[in-house]
Amino acid sequence: MSVIVSPARTACSASPRTRNEGTGDSCPVPLLCLFAGAVLWLGVALALGLMDSVKFHNPEFLAAGPYLSYGRVHAAQNAALLHGFGVPAALGLGLWLLCRLGRAALAAPLAVLLGVVFWNFALAAGVAAILCGGGAGYEGFELPAWCAPVLLAAYILLGLCAFVTFDRRQEDKLYPSQWFVIGSLFWFPWIFSTADLLLLVAPARGVLQALIAWWYAHNLSQVFLGLAGLASSFYFIPKLLGRPLHSRYLAALAFWTLALFGSCGGVPNGAPLPAWIVSLSVVGTVLTVVPLLAVATNFYFTVRRDLEALDADPVLRFTYVGLVFWLIAGAQQIVGTLPNVSAITDFTWFGAAHGELFHNGFFALTVFGALYYILPRLLGLDQAAWCPKLLTAHFLLAFVGVLIAYISLLAAGVGQGILLADARNSFPDVMRRTMMPLRVSTLGESFVLLGTILFLLNFARILLAAGRRCRAERKERA
Amino acid sequence: MNSGPLLFLGLFVTMACSWLGFVLGPQLQLGGLTQTNTVVMGDALSQTYPVPEPGDAHQGAEVYRANGCACCHTEMVRPRSLGSDIAHSWGARRSLAEDYLFDQPVMLGSQRVGPDLANVGLRSDTNGILVRLYNPRRIIRRSLMPPYRFLFETRKIGFFPSPDALVLPAPDAPPLGYEVIPRPQARALAAYLMSLRQTGYLFEAPPPPARPLKTNAVPTNAVPAVKAPAAK
Repeated sequence: MSVIVSPARTACSASPRTRNEGTGDSCPVPLLCLFAGAVLWLGVALALGLMDSVKFHNPEFLAAGPYLSYGRVHAAQNAALLHGFGVPAALGLGLWLLCRLGRAALAAPLAVLLGVVFWNFALAAGVAAILCGGGAGYEGFELPAWCAPVLLAAYILLGLCAFVTFDRRQEDKLYPSQWFVIGSLFWFPWIFSTADLLLLVAPARGVLQALIAWWYAHNLSQVFLGLAGLASSFYFIPKLLGRPLHSRYLAALAFWTLALFGSCGGVPNGAPLPAWIVSLSVVGTVLTVVPLLAVATNFYFTVRRDLEALDADPVLRFTYVGLVFWLIAGAQQIVGTLPNVSAITDFTWFGAAHGELFHNGFFALTVFGALYYILPRLLGLDQAAWCPKLLTAHFLLAFVGVLIAYISLLAAGVGQGILLADARNSFPDVMRRTMMPLRVSTLGESFVLLGTILFLLNFARILLAAGRRCRAERKERA
Repeated sequence: MNSGPLLFLGLFVTMACSWLGFVLGPQLQLGGLTQTNTVVMGDALSQTYPVPEPGDAHQGAEVYRANGCACCHTEMVRPRSLGSDIAHSWGARRSLAEDYLFDQPVMLGSQRVGPDLANVGLRSDTNGILVRLYNPRRIIRRSLMPPYRFLFETRKIGFFPSPDALVLPAPDAPPLGYEVIPRPQARALAAYLMSLRQTGYLFEAPPPPARPLKTNAVPTNAVPAVKAPAAK
């Protein structure tokens, strides 16, 4: 029985030295561009988020002109985080894992490069348009009407390359990470085209627009980013520990239940919709307890004898802390959807706290963990190329920053909700009382931004090192 | 699970479930939603609801969208059992699908940094909204709302003072000989906000009882306790 499978055994016992054999590392430029673009967009999103956070200390901050007013910056930040960082990072992880686990070379690298270029330029134009007042007005889907089809075309190009890479795999047996990657890559074009069609091209009638926007934003985070991040956790945690994954069946259970239940949700209780839609959303969200427990059990039994090793490896720390954040975010979402709780927590900072933990905690940390492993191998270097001090500082800043921001936003949200539940408290009074935790969250957000800047410095450092090595090799040959 | 085609088939079916439940099903039920009639209340006659908003309010919705107002303000009132919205006087009844029939785009929002605006047109006046946009802290002490002064123009008073000039309290008043004029966007935005009112009581959200029902009150639709005439 093949219950015990490890990525080390199935496909990737490749040591850094044998890197060029049948992996995406043989043609590194498209993937490097994809990752570099994603991390730069994360920097942009964090900087915009910090700008908005500072406005809570002084509403007059950058309020003189329309371009950097709060609402526009907020929309631009969302677009940069979800479509600038999230989608390309998930695609990059997916492409790399499909190459690695299938022992296949990246299909059509030039097409990938073309897709990356189109995606990033279209998105840059879109974000600029949002700051100029051209946003679509749907939260999570702020892109202007002319921008979304270009992004879809670029994604389809990249997705086809991923599909061909998957089809050319040398390994017959699929490792769980491959299911997760295929699932996430399959999800995006469906939800994105639905949202584009029914929100921008031929808008649905009335309140259906709000429903589709909620459904899109929920699926984009929970399913698309969730599956992509978990693919990375399922690959790197067993691999770097050198232990087999505990159970393939539990992984399959987590995969299918996350796809089925995770995709049903995102509608707030009390929304102006027929009750069955809201109930479906609540039931789906509550049932995500199944994948949550399946993933937690699976990883607990995988790592329980190696808890010290887990903490010793600087790269692994990003991945497993990211996974723990995923579990906490999932639990928070389940609790927050229960009608009695949502009556208090809906429409407060509680939701923002969840977004912070999910995107900057789970997804960004998981991606960074993977990038610390992938990038040197793409450049033909080994792990030692990273500056260890910058790496440690990045981890501490990201970890502490996300924790500070999350806890303070959560406190602000719960406080706001409890105070508002008593109608004798006037709304402006309540908001003034949530100011203190909100201002503390600015500190956390600046830590996260600083950490990302340190990562970019470290990345520049290994790019230079690779350049030096390349020149030395050329000289030797001459 | 080692077969690629089976994996894709499974994903297709799973995805289709979510799509049927959250896109196609609601579209079949609500896609053909039309205007309806309000519930008759007291002497008032039943009215057609909702009525399309006037043109300037429609332009104002574009200003609301462009400036991302919906990231701090919701436009929906939850039912009494699911939150304190009605107790905060943000609306007399819960919001319904019909309320958004003519909105494009529909901006319900997801967070309340500012109050809910579903019925802001019922509790404000145009000048109050404009003053609030110009300097929110003049109305609410230490308000978190940023000022939207770029929607206004301070200019020298011409031959006659403009009738549109904003009436501002002393600290914000422009220097002598100048006046603050709301730009067209500001006026459109104010018209949009004034058009936000979810007034009609509909079948799904009937008017609340005039006084609390007593526990032993007879329901209005109960069969009167009159003996049927005995059969001859």
